[in-house]
Amino acid sequence: MTADDSRRDDRAATAGFRPSRRRFLATSGVAVTGALAGCSGLFGGDDGDYGAPNYDAVDAAMEAAALSEFQGSGAILEGRPAPGGRSMEELPNLSGELAIYLGGGEGGLYLDLFDVLEEVYPEFSYTSQSKPSSELATQIVEEARANQLQADLFISIGAGSLGTVVEEDATRPMTDETVEPVPEAFVEPDNNWVGVAGRARAIPYNTEQLDDGDLPDNVMEFPDANALQDVMGWAPTYGAFQDFVTAMRLQEGEDATLQWLEDMQAAGIQSYDNEFLISDAVSTGELAAGFANHYYALRVLNGSPERPLDLHFTRGDAGSLVNVSGAALLDRDENAGLADVFVRHLLSAEAQEFFATRTYAYPMLPGVQPVGDLPPIDELETPDIDLTELANTGPTTDLLTEAGVL
Amino acid sequence: MSVSDRIEGVSRRLGQRSPSDVQTLVLALLAGSVAVAVLTPLLWVLNSARSVPVDRFFDILFRQTTLDIFLNTVVLVVAVTALSILIGVPLAVLTAQTDLPFRRLFTILAALPLVVPSYIGAFAFVSAFGPRGVLADALAPLGIEQLPSIYGLVGSVIVLTLFTYPYVFLTTRASLLSIDGRSVEAARTLNHTRLGAFRRVTLPQLKPGIAAGALLVALYTLSDFGTPAIMQFDVFTRIIYVRTTARQVDFASIFSILLVGLTVVILLAESRIERGGETSAYVNRGTDRPGVVRLGRWRWVAALFPLAIATLALALPPAILFTWLGRSTPELAGAAVDFQWTFAWNSVTVSALAAGVSVLAALPLSYLSARGKGRLASLPERASYVGYAVPGVVVGFGLLSVALNVTPFLYGSLAVLVFAYVVRFLPQAVGTTRSSILQVDPQLLEAARTLGKPPLVAFRKVVLPLVMPGIVAGAALVFLTSMKELAATLLLRPFGFETLVTYIWQVQEAAAYGQAAVPALVLVGISALSMLVILGRERYDVKE
Repeated sequence: MTADDSRRDDRAATAGFRPSRRRFLATSGVAVTGALAGCSGLFGGDDGDYGAPNYDAVDAAMEAAALSEFQGSGAILEGRPAPGGRSMEELPNLSGELAIYLGGGEGGLYLDLFDVLEEVYPEFSYTSQSKPSSELATQIVEEARANQLQADLFISIGAGSLGTVVEEDATRPMTDETVEPVPEAFVEPDNNWVGVAGRARAIPYNTEQLDDGDLPDNVMEFPDANALQDVMGWAPTYGAFQDFVTAMRLQEGEDATLQWLEDMQAAGIQSYDNEFLISDAVSTGELAAGFANHYYALRVLNGSPERPLDLHFTRGDAGSLVNVSGAALLDRDENAGLADVFVRHLLSAEAQEFFATRTYAYPMLPGVQPVGDLPPIDELETPDIDLTELANTGPTTDLLTEAGVL
Repeated sequence: MSVSDRIEGVSRRLGQRSPSDVQTLVLALLAGSVAVAVLTPLLWVLNSARSVPVDRFFDILFRQTTLDIFLNTVVLVVAVTALSILIGVPLAVLTAQTDLPFRRLFTILAALPLVVPSYIGAFAFVSAFGPRGVLADALAPLGIEQLPSIYGLVGSVIVLTLFTYPYVFLTTRASLLSIDGRSVEAARTLNHTRLGAFRRVTLPQLKPGIAAGALLVALYTLSDFGTPAIMQFDVFTRIIYVRTTARQVDFASIFSILLVGLTVVILLAESRIERGGETSAYVNRGTDRPGVVRLGRWRWVAALFPLAIATLALALPPAILFTWLGRSTPELAGAAVDFQWTFAWNSVTVSALAAGVSVLAALPLSYLSARGKGRLASLPERASYVGYAVPGVVVGFGLLSVALNVTPFLYGSLAVLVFAYVVRFLPQAVGTTRSSILQVDPQLLEAARTLGKPPLVAFRKVVLPLVMPGIVAGAALVFLTSMKELAATLLLRPFGFETLVTYIWQVQEAAAYGQAAVPALVLVGISALSMLVILGRERYDVKE
């Protein structure tokens, strides 16, 4: 499989170009901008190109409906600026059938985005299969060894699983053009994977019970914080929590991490099944604070905006780890060009707007704002950790078991 | 030397020459290849274990945590099995031999919990009785702050017992219905009290039935992943899952081997019990059923027992899922694809295929084990139980590896998934088929042979119709357990092929629990139909 193939794919994509679909995308961008932010800077120029006189009412209605396809709904959209970055309309068309391995059931939301892409590009269709990211990574490695890969693309909810498949030579690099808009920290040095949406570790806290000042800026100080005794929760069986412990282990060492786990238990931390439940419990006052991915709090708030819930971020340690959902091209002869262009679409302004407003993830493009009052991704003081090292979960499981947490 | 010469030679060496011994040999070869086929996923385990250095092996083996997990597993299996007997046997006696009100209804209700996937049951129990569950919310205004914890051993035992005791219930009930009533009456005329007659006459005859059910309970408990995972209780399956997906194959394979060892011990224990009772199992040809015990005014009190069990196991899980349906925020509700009826159709198709293949594969195993002489004849039958005790994730990755490397043309096809179900659930078909073969008088077959029928024809015309109810029941059991299997299904399903359980998994992962309500009810509803098939088989056994 070679660059020739990918060029051919691109040509095929161009051949499938349909002006009306392009217009569909372009005008929806305008409408988004106009409706939400009252300005039309980003897509304004397109009005001239595509504002054709042959518009009829049906087209207009269809295009208006398309806005909601990429965006969420509710309070989070208020005062939101238009997404900046490479627009989908600048990209080659998608054409062909793509097979996608999707790690994690939360990926259900991603399918909505892929469905929109199918709608936009009539020549494009996809099939997908989801299962837990770590299982999928193991399966992909086995398939690659037997030269029997079944999918063109692997989308994982954590960088750890992406690291596993890269390490075992199951991937091929993406083109520079595809990964170019994404900050370096979220691209594998040889372009073997790229982040498409970020998920930050955060401390959801109840604003009626705590002030931001009650919460230490260093996660290692949490066990000793007076305000936090017997009022915190965690979800030790949850994958993202275990990634956080792995990050702590990499940064602070095994002994300090074990000590921290034991001290947190001595401070009366309570176990929950998942981090949505923690964020919900904090918002109702059942807990004062907890350990969770940032977007769960936003989900709670979008459903019940009146709840006294806010997020605190620690500085430069495991508590402020930003992990990514990312994509890797699988080393398979078919569809390499299509898969590469597909990832480019995931990194377009429109798709990033989708991730930001529908999944509340951190967008990978600096030009797309995270929702709500979240600090922009470059203002978070994230720890200096190679995300693919998060794949090494074995010693973490040992630590959690030894501390009696699991 | 031709094949028949060789067979002849083997027969000669065995000092037996009759054509029926050649048939036994063919049967043994058939049974042997089925047993080897269903053990192939374990090759992966052995192969992985081979790469572990010996010192590392012993290092893992003798860790304190290994011992803890081993003890946890043993305690869980013993407790669930014992409790299942304590629930299943009385329920069987109540529904089969007393004048309990609504007996038919309670028979069905008592068997139905088997169709509920234990991961849904465990989720419902945590939601209902967990620290922040429905019960805790209801009691909070009364000043009750803290409930006893549902997590750990207690919760795992309760949930697994509630959803697996029907194995004991069904096998015990089948034995009860086939007991010769005259022996009980004989004991009564010899001045035994009712209880005494039950203890000295009925119970010994029930023992093989109880043991067969208890075996299924024990091995299911050993292989179940969902319940201990949700209950946060460390047992072999949980460790194996975590280590397998963390790609620490050495850990996973060592624990898998320990688990297989434990399975062998359980199988040996059960063989011992069963052999003890076997002679009496098929000399019974009586058709008189023991008289119905009149409970008098206790009838209605006794009815509370099956009612309580049915409420906990059958009413609670859907009720909890529906409360989640009410609680979902719009964002959560939109988190996953919509339910489609094709998922149900896919589940039914693949489970029906698994049931069909399983009963065919079960025939030689069970026939050899029931009719063959010596311990060796039971070996293939016993071996088929190993796959049942191994967790789905091991079967899944084992078959994945076998399919990729041995039969690449089958990889990613439905055939691999169907075979995974056969590996996991074949013993259920073997068990029911074997017990119905045991109940057929061997002299019937000989009579047919003396009338000049060739052996296969005699088998088809005489034995098969008599064992058919057992085969159908086996098919129904395999069908309903395949319907709810999750681990191997997630791993081995073909691309674009979603079933009810993979859909339920996806919405639960997205924390959209309410959306699991409809597919869960569809799953339980379809499986319940196959349970009616199992209970309908009783019409062959008794005329009511």
